[in-house]
Amino acid sequence: MYSKEELLDKELYEIMTQEKHRLGLVSMDAPLISNLSVLSNIALIKQYHGRLSVREAEDIARMHLEKLHLDNIAAKRNPVLLEMQRFSVMVLRAVMVEDAMVVIDRPFKIMPDLDDTRFIHDVLTSVDDLFQECHVFDYLWNEKRYTGGMIHGA
Amino acid sequence: MTTAIEQIGRSGLRAARASQDTLTFAFRILARMFDVRAYNSAVRMVLINQIYFTSVQILPLFLAVAVIFGAIVIGIIGQYLIHLGLFYYFGQLLMGFVVTEFAPFITVLLIALRSSSAINAEIAVMKVNKELNTLYVFRIDVINYLFLPRILSGILSIVLLSWLFSMIVLASGLIFSALLFDMSMNDYVTALLASAKFSDLIVMLIKCATMGFFIIMIPIRYGMRATDELTSIPVSVLQGMVNVFIAIMIIEVVSLIVMSLIEKFI
Repeated sequence: MYSKEELLDKELYEIMTQEKHRLGLVSMDAPLISNLSVLSNIALIKQYHGRLSVREAEDIARMHLEKLHLDNIAAKRNPVLLEMQRFSVMVLRAVMVEDAMVVIDRPFKIMPDLDDTRFIHDVLTSVDDLFQECHVFDYLWNEKRYTGGMIHGA
Repeated sequence: MTTAIEQIGRSGLRAARASQDTLTFAFRILARMFDVRAYNSAVRMVLINQIYFTSVQILPLFLAVAVIFGAIVIGIIGQYLIHLGLFYYFGQLLMGFVVTEFAPFITVLLIALRSSSAINAEIAVMKVNKELNTLYVFRIDVINYLFLPRILSGILSIVLLSWLFSMIVLASGLIFSALLFDMSMNDYVTALLASAKFSDLIVMLIKCATMGFFIIMIPIRYGMRATDELTSIPVSVLQGMVNVFIAIMIIEVVSLIVMSLIEKFI
């Protein structure tokens, strides 16, 4: 938790630089690619780094979308997604990185209508076998919205 | 007077630097083009999509333009040659002008108007939306994933569509020369074959590939120059398209010089 934007950005930049090879960033500053479908956005990481074929990568992406009950949005593109759908897809894309270290940057900026972190917790729990660690960066004044002790203050 | 000279010098230096940057960028792309590791399934998928957007979607318009322009050009050329008593050169004009100059030029214009502007806007929008940042964060090489497939599709599209344009014009030339000038099929084909030069076709191929490379690479470069502001998108498209037009003119002039040198020495 940070009191100032500059402090948060500095710390975030440091972790992004140190862990760039296993970084799975979930942030408004790393949006989904708008000319790709949800499925292709998730599959792209495996296609590129795992050198999988389109079909193999899309099968993996589809399987994880089904796990989050999001298979109905597989063909949709970023602009038409609801905020929570967009967040879930960004998390799925992040965990496609090998040995992923998921970094969630200001989740309430992505989902401003959310009251607490239960939804974030649920999404992360459904894919917890796909990442090694997770860090959430947020402002101090959002502390009360974090429940269940899922977030460790930085 | 001194200020004016300084101003000219400054503009000259700016233009020289811009040309140097463009050529450096072109060499970087060329180097990647021959690197086998650059081509994975994601890049191949983008390449196939781009070929579809650039070459296939344009086909109805392209075929209509080829038939209409081909008929008009052949009609006008034939009439003038008859009027001047030079109809003997009909085949030479078809091969030398229509196939090596007219077909690539019209193809490049159509692709530049349709695809170059779209690619310029697409890259600029991606920059403004921070989508290029996404690729950077996920260690996806922007040159390999975004630029290379678009440029390759530009090269393939211009080369193949120029050939298609030439074939359509020559085929419509066969019909119109029979209808308008009472020319038999045998005479028409003989005139064309007698005028066909292998060197001209090679120069045409190289010219098409070069144009295809630059009319996609330049809009990409200008798209990348967009800032974080939405208003920078139209500015980058405008600058990109003006430079595409300049590049087409430069390549046309250079190819004409090369062709005349080949003519002189070979």
